[in-house]
Amino acid sequence: MHILHGFRGICLVAATLAFQTIDAHAACEPDKVATKYPKLAGRMITVGQDGESPPFSFRDPKNFDTLIGLDADMARSVFACIGVPVEFKTGNWSGLIPATMAGQIDVMWDTLLYTPERAKRLDFISYMNSATGALVAKGNPKNIRSLDDLCGLRANANLGTTQEAILREAERKCQVAGKPEVEVITSTDMPSGLRLLENGRADAVLTNRFLADRRAAGSMSVEVAFSLVTDAIIAAGTAKGNDDLAKAIQDGIGELRQNGSLKTIYERYKVDYMLTVDPAILTR
Amino acid sequence: MAPEIAEADSITDPIWAVLGYTTSSFLLTGALIAIEIAAIALLGGTLLGLLIATMRLSLLAPIRAIAWFYVWLFRGTPLVLQLVFLYDALPSVGIRLSSFTTAVIGFTLNEAAFAAEIIRGGILSVDKRQSIAAAALGMSNRLTLRRIILPQAMRAILPALANQTVSLVKGTAIASVIFVNELTFRAHQIVGQNFEFFTVFGAAGLIYLVMTSVVSIVQAGLERRFGADRERRPLLDRFRTARNEGRPATLRPVAKEATGFGLPARSADKSKPFVVCRSVRKSYGRREILRGVDLTVGRGEVVVVMGPSGSGKSTLLRLINHLEELNGGEITVDGAFVGYERIGDRLMPQHDLARARAEARIGMVFQHFALFEHFTALENIVEAPVQVHGMKPAAARSRAEELLRSVGLLGHADHLPSRLSGGQQQRVAIARALAIEPRLMLFDEPTSALDPELVGEVLAAIRKLARGGMTMIVVTHEVSFARHVADRIVFMDEGVIVEEGTPADVLDQPKQERTRRFLSKVEELPADQPADDAINPLSLVKVDR
Repeated sequence: MHILHGFRGICLVAATLAFQTIDAHAACEPDKVATKYPKLAGRMITVGQDGESPPFSFRDPKNFDTLIGLDADMARSVFACIGVPVEFKTGNWSGLIPATMAGQIDVMWDTLLYTPERAKRLDFISYMNSATGALVAKGNPKNIRSLDDLCGLRANANLGTTQEAILREAERKCQVAGKPEVEVITSTDMPSGLRLLENGRADAVLTNRFLADRRAAGSMSVEVAFSLVTDAIIAAGTAKGNDDLAKAIQDGIGELRQNGSLKTIYERYKVDYMLTVDPAILTR
Repeated sequence: MAPEIAEADSITDPIWAVLGYTTSSFLLTGALIAIEIAAIALLGGTLLGLLIATMRLSLLAPIRAIAWFYVWLFRGTPLVLQLVFLYDALPSVGIRLSSFTTAVIGFTLNEAAFAAEIIRGGILSVDKRQSIAAAALGMSNRLTLRRIILPQAMRAILPALANQTVSLVKGTAIASVIFVNELTFRAHQIVGQNFEFFTVFGAAGLIYLVMTSVVSIVQAGLERRFGADRERRPLLDRFRTARNEGRPATLRPVAKEATGFGLPARSADKSKPFVVCRSVRKSYGRREILRGVDLTVGRGEVVVVMGPSGSGKSTLLRLINHLEELNGGEITVDGAFVGYERIGDRLMPQHDLARARAEARIGMVFQHFALFEHFTALENIVEAPVQVHGMKPAAARSRAEELLRSVGLLGHADHLPSRLSGGQQQRVAIARALAIEPRLMLFDEPTSALDPELVGEVLAAIRKLARGGMTMIVVTHEVSFARHVADRIVFMDEGVIVEEGTPADVLDQPKQERTRRFLSKVEELPADQPADDAINPLSLVKVDR
């Protein structure tokens, strides 16, 4: 896992893509899709999400047939701005990357982190910095205040996520310090990780900070012990070589930032708007 | 819509919450998707599985190998990988399937591999003698599979297939990796939104239970349908049979036109050869069973074949009606080969062997009766005339009733073989063999599997046939029967005919030491009572003497 070291990579990519600056004067012109993005004209764009990661992608409690959340709403707004219809496909998070590579879905837009490794298989359009939160049992019985306190305890993260990499790194640090190791338990989805915590099978769950905040809010059983801002970047992913699509998404996010509607979406889901970044296309 | 879930603080609240989710259209839509995938996969997979199962039982090695490979591949790899492969790898060769289509195809292909083994197991569970009996009646392999083997195999197939179906319904949950939003996935989605995993998963479990209960109910119904001990005939038919039994027996000769069986006019001159075996040889692997047998049976002649077990008697019978293939020599029945063509110097088996057997009209009766276990006595008799010879069911039925009456079993017409005694079963088997209007009857130790007190009734039926002028070859150890019924006795040992002649010659003055030794070991029971039944089965078969 190179995620913690990803910053260097991003600098490199940012340097190579510096010429691809966003057109500051881009505006939402859905009628001009055929001239601006000829390859998108007449297409239906399929957005892949897992539908169980609040506040990014989850089911509308009032109507389970509808997906809502920061990523869902942003995807809808961006493609409305571009001028192409969109449909959502929901599946297990682990199936989203292969499906995007195979072209079964056009965009994976679901708290996907950019890594150079993943960029060999997908192109990325970055839009915010990631942050990690640690959920613990109410009252924080193990007195966990930082990653260092996890030595000798059991901690959970979703398989293949940035949080898993953080835990592996913490495990290594405990080892170096001669302390008992972190016992890392991986799960395939966030709710099952939380059940580990609620059943006392894990002492801490590391997940996206906003996911953690949302879960802790009003909860009788869990609270946020600490949070970290990492240098990891959250991005939308497309199959390699879809230049028109990547450019359109980049333009769309840029326009939503400009006209303030992106901020509204962030506020709607209580996610820190300060974490957003200028959208960039990362292909390496 | 999700019901409003209040903070649960009593026992009943969570139960109501679970029940509330069971009526959620969001979850029920997922259940419907699961049912659709499972239903199509079950239907397609079972049909494909049947094909693969029959391929695995094929005589041709390459076909067996293909079927084996298919089962090996699909049973040996995880379904989830198969689905991801179909969904995410095929687009690279230009095949882009939708999620639902991928799931249906993936589950069908996988189901077929498992169904194939279940069906093959069922087919193998059916006694081999059932298909031999069917072949002797001239039934083709396909007809035998459809009419005889599969209905009996169902008893073994159904419980396993129901298991597989339940797994299939639940297993559709895997399809969420390829974006099929079925029940389990939708339950996860709701939990991801509100974290009420207990109630939501509880509700999903209940919905699965309802779906799998339907499978259990259908299974129970089908098991009753294919069970061994059902009485299936409509009540009305039973009334009719009872009425017929009350009537005095009046027999009408069966006209050729009425039955569709053409019977060539035959003389009863026993000096005219009817069955001719020349230098007949047969081996199983390296073991030689018959080592050059020459035997001629005259028209209307009754030949009893005796000899120690392993002497090749039964094999000779099976070569005459081509249940087994000759390794050398030739056999003609009424001047024609049964299922062989002469090409140059060699005899080649014909392609449509079943048809050749049917046209030869050679009736055969087996040591172990080999009645079709799932058919009543009457259905056993009707089967070949209707299915093989295209006789009208009504005509075949009334004729079968007459045959049953002639062997004294009309009252048992609706009984399954399992409810009949051994002697009764063998008499039904004789009636079944007679129903194809045979020109030749082969009896393969017809009384060897019977309790002593049941032997007499079967021999009486055979004796009646002999008196009626039927050409017969009877393999038996019944010395008294041979003495009274046979025109000629053939004694075989170690694959050759050792001695032959009239009963008096062979039984009383055997020339060969081997014959003497054998006869000294076989007990001669008192002669059977001569049968004085009013009805002679041969009057139905119409043989010109």
